[in-house]
Amino acid sequence: MRLYVDNAKCSGCRACLVACSLNLFRESNPKKAALTLLPHFPAPGVYEMKVCTQCGDCARVCPTEAIKLNERGAYYVDYDECNLCEACVPECPESVMFVRTELANHAWKCDLCGDCVAVCGTGALWIAD
Amino acid sequence: MLNGYGGSILRVNLTTGKISKEPTPPEVARDFIGGRGFGIYFLTKEVPKGTDPLGPENKLIISSGPLSGMLVAGGGKCDWTTKSPLTGGYASASLGGLFTAEMKYAGIDSIILEGISPKPVYLFIDDNKIELRDAAPYWGKGTFEVEKEFKEKFGEEYQIAVIGPGGENGVAFAHINHDYGRQAGRGGVGTVMGAKKVKAIVVHGTKSVPVADVDAYRQAGMALYKACKEAEGLKEWTRYGTTIVVSWCDEVGALPTRNFSAGSFEDGKNLYGTVMREQIVITDKGCFGCPCPCGKYSSMKRYGTHVEGPEYETIGMLGSNLGFTNIEDVAQANLLCDDLGIDTISAGGVIAWAIEAYTKGILTKADTDGLELSWGNPQAVFALIEKIAKKQGFGALLADGVKKAAQKVGKGSEKFAIHVKGMEQSAYATHNATAMLISYMTCDVGAHHNRAWAITYDLQVGRDKVVPEKVARVIWLQNFRPMFDVLGACRLQWVELGIDRKLYEPLLQAITGIPRTWEDLEAVGNRIWNLTRLYWARENEGFGRAWDMPSPRFYEEPPQSGATAGQITRLEDVNRLLDMYYEQRGWDANGMPTPATIEKLNLGAFVS
Amino acid sequence: MTAIFRPMGMLKQYIGGQAEVAVPAGRTIRQTMTAFDMPPEIAALVLVNDEQQSKDYVLQDGDVVKLMAVIGGG
Repeated sequence: MRLYVDNAKCSGCRACLVACSLNLFRESNPKKAALTLLPHFPAPGVYEMKVCTQCGDCARVCPTEAIKLNERGAYYVDYDECNLCEACVPECPESVMFVRTELANHAWKCDLCGDCVAVCGTGALWIAD
Repeated sequence: MLNGYGGSILRVNLTTGKISKEPTPPEVARDFIGGRGFGIYFLTKEVPKGTDPLGPENKLIISSGPLSGMLVAGGGKCDWTTKSPLTGGYASASLGGLFTAEMKYAGIDSIILEGISPKPVYLFIDDNKIELRDAAPYWGKGTFEVEKEFKEKFGEEYQIAVIGPGGENGVAFAHINHDYGRQAGRGGVGTVMGAKKVKAIVVHGTKSVPVADVDAYRQAGMALYKACKEAEGLKEWTRYGTTIVVSWCDEVGALPTRNFSAGSFEDGKNLYGTVMREQIVITDKGCFGCPCPCGKYSSMKRYGTHVEGPEYETIGMLGSNLGFTNIEDVAQANLLCDDLGIDTISAGGVIAWAIEAYTKGILTKADTDGLELSWGNPQAVFALIEKIAKKQGFGALLADGVKKAAQKVGKGSEKFAIHVKGMEQSAYATHNATAMLISYMTCDVGAHHNRAWAITYDLQVGRDKVVPEKVARVIWLQNFRPMFDVLGACRLQWVELGIDRKLYEPLLQAITGIPRTWEDLEAVGNRIWNLTRLYWARENEGFGRAWDMPSPRFYEEPPQSGATAGQITRLEDVNRLLDMYYEQRGWDANGMPTPATIEKLNLGAFVS
Repeated sequence: MTAIFRPMGMLKQYIGGQAEVAVPAGRTIRQTMTAFDMPPEIAALVLVNDEQQSKDYVLQDGDVVKLMAVIGGG
């Protein structure tokens, strides 16, 4: 199971980012979300989203085995085990492995909670095999 | 810690360059809540009576609300309040997009711009780093170019609000642009920003917003999203946005045609939402947190340009109202206004007046710098928009707004200057729609539709009926709808999707920790409404009933064609509507809140 | 020969609160609305099989008609 996005349906509203940060951190702060919105404006005038495909490259490279599988079969960061080495960040093919030390003292990533799908009004996001 | 708030008021004294922050006063948050409420609080408290709107004592107050930037379907609105250079009264414009959320993440509830900068500057806010920076490289540039430059310079996370040459040059209805297509549009809020020599505000914040009960907040926030997603009509509303009503307004005689001379446009089929969707729309663009993105980002192949829009209002005012028959021409006129930084509604209103005056021989080529003005003439309109923004030649007359332009020119042209209180009427023709008519007459910023939109109600109850129920409905809408502007959220999720508004109550409470029902909020709305009325009276000698009167076009000139052909409201009914309105509001026969009303609403401190 | 008539939102009140009702084909949308005491002006958007049509459209067998009112406006 993994998250999918149809960019053509994305409206740039960022509801997904807020829902995500609330799930990961219990905070309302889109900068602490685990998916990325790339607006392409004023031209060509479309939105693009980067989401975790659960490829596992981050987990394979993590030296402390901090990236584990949860009950949904998705990779997530065990915050206690992360030592901020940042080895995972360049490994991610979608650039959705996040380290921002001004915001958190550990890496974070999508854990496939599905809240982004729940709040997306245009159906741009969904979870499937 | 104030749950649901950024936590501070940012004061920027542009004359001295001093920047200071003070904690958001809890009693102000309690009584005025946020957004537009904070706007009127600071305006009435700190801007002295008789202030010149373009002078140093006027303030521009930009406020987010407790729902802004949160897990709220549509939590993306901020309010811009000032003393209006267009009307001389209260101005409050609502900006969507992402700006309000970013203010919250920077820990700011209100930005108060004071004084006048000796040189063009932009305000740069990056969490606690707040500076005034030199804007000389950007002064004179269009809004799109500047926003793009700032995004490239600072990064995509930074949110930009920027004025165009219109605001710099003092066009009375200049606006502020953001996110390539959202505006704080009406009343000259951009004019004040330009008078203060502030080219832009750049904001970036990385803080989280505190809430009272995180679990209840998440639950209530999710419930609101669920209701929106399950709403009937979500798909249709998203597909067309506000353009959904163009064909219908044409059908019922509400579409302004040739300077409101009629309510239906016989050549308007190419302006319909379905045609627009097919011909130019490429992306549904949303404001912060919105599940039903109404923004229609368009590509105009004819001109090689893009614009967010046109919205219904612009299709009306810069389309049918000017006799345009092609949606790409409307979109291009929209783009010019956005880039040059002037309100599309007021621009359409004053240009339509000019075209009518020209067709009547009141204005000639000698007046218009040689421009031939006629209905359905995009090239002339594009040229006029540029002249207005630069206040060049004939544009300088129009740049003062339709009321002043008509006063200057005279020769009977005042009769077809379509405005109330000096604000050009927005895009609903009210020859025979009495609830909408009284709504425009009594709107607190001038002839704007957003406080009380009542066209369907008019049609349900009987469009020409002059009954107390209609007035009661408009009053309720005026107390209720603007509360979204106070909360810092968009009203269109409730307005367009028909969701149960009670869903907002537990959400607001979980965020702020303060229980409030919609009845409580409407009471605040009623208080704010009366306060803005008192503000108009304080600032305008002789303010009263005469200021509430509509353009005579709506009681003297029945349309010759269209759905309302031969229909008109009688002047005696205009007055009856006003009498009923004053009575129900608790105002005297001249439209002033009575001493009893002032006391009941605890507004005595303001009047003394 | 019938069509499905599906007034949305507050317009349901005109068909007794039901979600939809079967109506005879061969009549215009306008006539169908009037038959339910619905003022034709009140529907802002008429969709037949998800395409916008005018109120003079004549219903065909199997058409699905959705009507939307704009209660709140802009």
